[in-house]
Amino acid sequence: MNRFGYFASILIFATAFISFSFIAPKNKEKEIKNFSLKGVDNKIVSLSDYKDAKGFIIVFTCNKCPMAKLYTDRLNTINDKFKKQHVYVLALNSMDTLAYAEESFKLMQKKAKNDKLTVPYLQDKKQKVAKQFNATHTPQAFIIWKNNENKFIIKYQGAIDDNAGEPEKVAHHYLIDSVDELLNKKNVTIAKSESFGCKIYYRGEKNKMN
Amino acid sequence: MKKSILIAITLFTVVSNAQYNNITIPEALYGTTFNLNIHESIRQIKTGNQTVTGSINNETFWGPTLFINKGAAVSFNVTNNLNESTTLHWHGMHLPAVMDGGPHQVIPSGTVWQPYWTMNNNASTYWFHPHLHETTEEQITKGVGGLMIVNDPIESALPLPRTYGTDDIPIIMTSRNFDALNQFSIGRAYGDYMLTNGTMNGQITLPKQVVRLRILNAELERGYNLGFSDGRTFYVITNDGGLVNAPIAVTRLPVHVGERYEILVNLSNDTVGTSIDLKAYNSGQSNSFPGGEPGTAGQFGSLLNNTTFNVLHINVGSTTTNPITAIPTTLTTNTYLTASDATVTRSVAITGGQNGGAVPFTFDNTIFNIATINKTLAANTTEKWTIANTPNAVFGHSFHIHDVQFKILTRSTGAVGAYESGWKDTFFISRNESVVFVARFADYSDATHPFMYHCHFSQHEDDGMMGQFVVSGPLSIAENSSTTSFSLYPNPANDKLFIKLKDTATEIYYVTITTMQGRVAMMLPQPQWQNGIDISSLASGVYLLQMMDKETKSTTTRKFIKN
Repeated sequence: MNRFGYFASILIFATAFISFSFIAPKNKEKEIKNFSLKGVDNKIVSLSDYKDAKGFIIVFTCNKCPMAKLYTDRLNTINDKFKKQHVYVLALNSMDTLAYAEESFKLMQKKAKNDKLTVPYLQDKKQKVAKQFNATHTPQAFIIWKNNENKFIIKYQGAIDDNAGEPEKVAHHYLIDSVDELLNKKNVTIAKSESFGCKIYYRGEKNKMN
Repeated sequence: MKKSILIAITLFTVVSNAQYNNITIPEALYGTTFNLNIHESIRQIKTGNQTVTGSINNETFWGPTLFINKGAAVSFNVTNNLNESTTLHWHGMHLPAVMDGGPHQVIPSGTVWQPYWTMNNNASTYWFHPHLHETTEEQITKGVGGLMIVNDPIESALPLPRTYGTDDIPIIMTSRNFDALNQFSIGRAYGDYMLTNGTMNGQITLPKQVVRLRILNAELERGYNLGFSDGRTFYVITNDGGLVNAPIAVTRLPVHVGERYEILVNLSNDTVGTSIDLKAYNSGQSNSFPGGEPGTAGQFGSLLNNTTFNVLHINVGSTTTNPITAIPTTLTTNTYLTASDATVTRSVAITGGQNGGAVPFTFDNTIFNIATINKTLAANTTEKWTIANTPNAVFGHSFHIHDVQFKILTRSTGAVGAYESGWKDTFFISRNESVVFVARFADYSDATHPFMYHCHFSQHEDDGMMGQFVVSGPLSIAENSSTTSFSLYPNPANDKLFIKLKDTATEIYYVTITTMQGRVAMMLPQPQWQNGIDISSLASGVYLLQMMDKETKSTTTRKFIKN
């Protein structure tokens, strides 16, 4: 009847949900299976190509999103910082090319050239890799790390850092800090941060593209 | 003693040094053809991370202000470069339903939509915003929208401030919530932070003379009980749909979601270098005033609820050349509709909303269904509508109807305020109140394409508090146009594509151009096809042109090549 009844019902629901969450298995590790995608240089890139890789930084990005554009330079810098330690950055474009003319392979090539992108820029045309990660935004970063069984496990997902427009004012380098922790054989302190940018819509799913 | 003075000084310093930011004045666009590019954008709203927004053209939150003359044939190239579908509705405009930009005129990502009409509206401040069902809240939250300012000879002849950005200022009010990384969070009815034209702690320097503020409440739900910090009188000169007969003196002005008021404020007697504040005096408002709820958190709480807060800090600056120094005594002569003009009477009951919104708000216990036409009206008819938020009313609402400007006749809770006595398209209806208005549905009959009436609270609208009506015209003579056969030439085409109709009596209702992959590239409602269709914006390739016959609504498709 009144609006405050709403809080009570939410509270009850939330309590039930939280209790359920505690019972449910916590932090279930998600494995990422090997994938092969075509890069802007027309060469196929697979995780398995990198025999010495300890882990990868997979960044879902795209050509058009203004937030993603702000991170292009940082992808190069982060790759330069970690590749010697056998951690490699791969940039993936999983946008629906049927929906967005601006995300075509040709324009990916143009962007890579214009922005002097030094990391592989791969097209996930069928969106299969993005679905494996459950990627939701561009840019969105994932760290996958090789475990004892040589499987790649997601160790971090979310933002690259907390200031897109002013890199010099970044307070939390979520991505870099997590890689450093993993290289130092520590647990990742912040395993998940919020992703922000442009939404990734999956072709064929009921969504706002209809 | 010393300590208290120190505290007083400290407090004073904090207050007087409050960090004000100059409000954004959206770019002004003039003319008869407007190119609007809707896109994702980013804006520095809070300190720290930038916020992902949605905007139009060069702006980063709310789009440009469009200046249009009454009587002009206006056309738009609306390109949706968002990652998702949208629509763009021209709020307050009298136009054909198929141009209205409601939930039916979906613009898929990457598509150009080309509506056009002849501007019939009187001089006033209007606006445009997304209206895609179930997505309106999210897209308005991002800041997709903007103002349209209509000029006409009556307004132009009046001694009113009209130097945009100097003494004629757009004020678009809204509040927002942010998450830890400064992104808009949606879901709560009220924002914690006031944004004036997308600027937090907004300020402006206005000249020492009469100034005009064009106020739009572009909120999701909150109402603003506006007034000035020194309690001064100010003057309402327009309602949603035009000038009122004479300036209406007020000290407080409630402005609810979707409503526009232009006000005059006389700064002639202020001292240069002093300041006053335009505030929302929402402290002490009742529980059914949107934003009057006392809570600071939760679905219906916010830091600004039931408080008095700043909308705009105004610094008084030097007088300009040729200032307006007096409030005019008269403005125009409106011939308002009266109850006796109405030949049709209708009622709409506000229903639902129980259990804190678990039951969605509806009209007449019927949730919005895009396939259902709720009311069929006849063109050339004046109607009296009663909107009843009673019995068992849960909350207040902002009622808006497309297509028309109406006159409020009565409010069951008391007299209709003088400040809302003009032409309106939106009004607030409080709990346990009935409001009666009269409107004329003159023309633009279209038996299939509907207009909307709805609550302008985005969440209520998205949840289905919306109905549809069509305005039907005289029955068309059934000539049984047997074919909508047509050909396209030249084919391949360069910049212009021409349609040749087999039956020259065929009227084209809609043309849609799609790529061979099925991506919609252009949407042309009732295209002016006789001089060819401009396809210069299309990339080279093969396209399908689908034409819809106005009478039969059947579609026929032809292929063409763009060189």
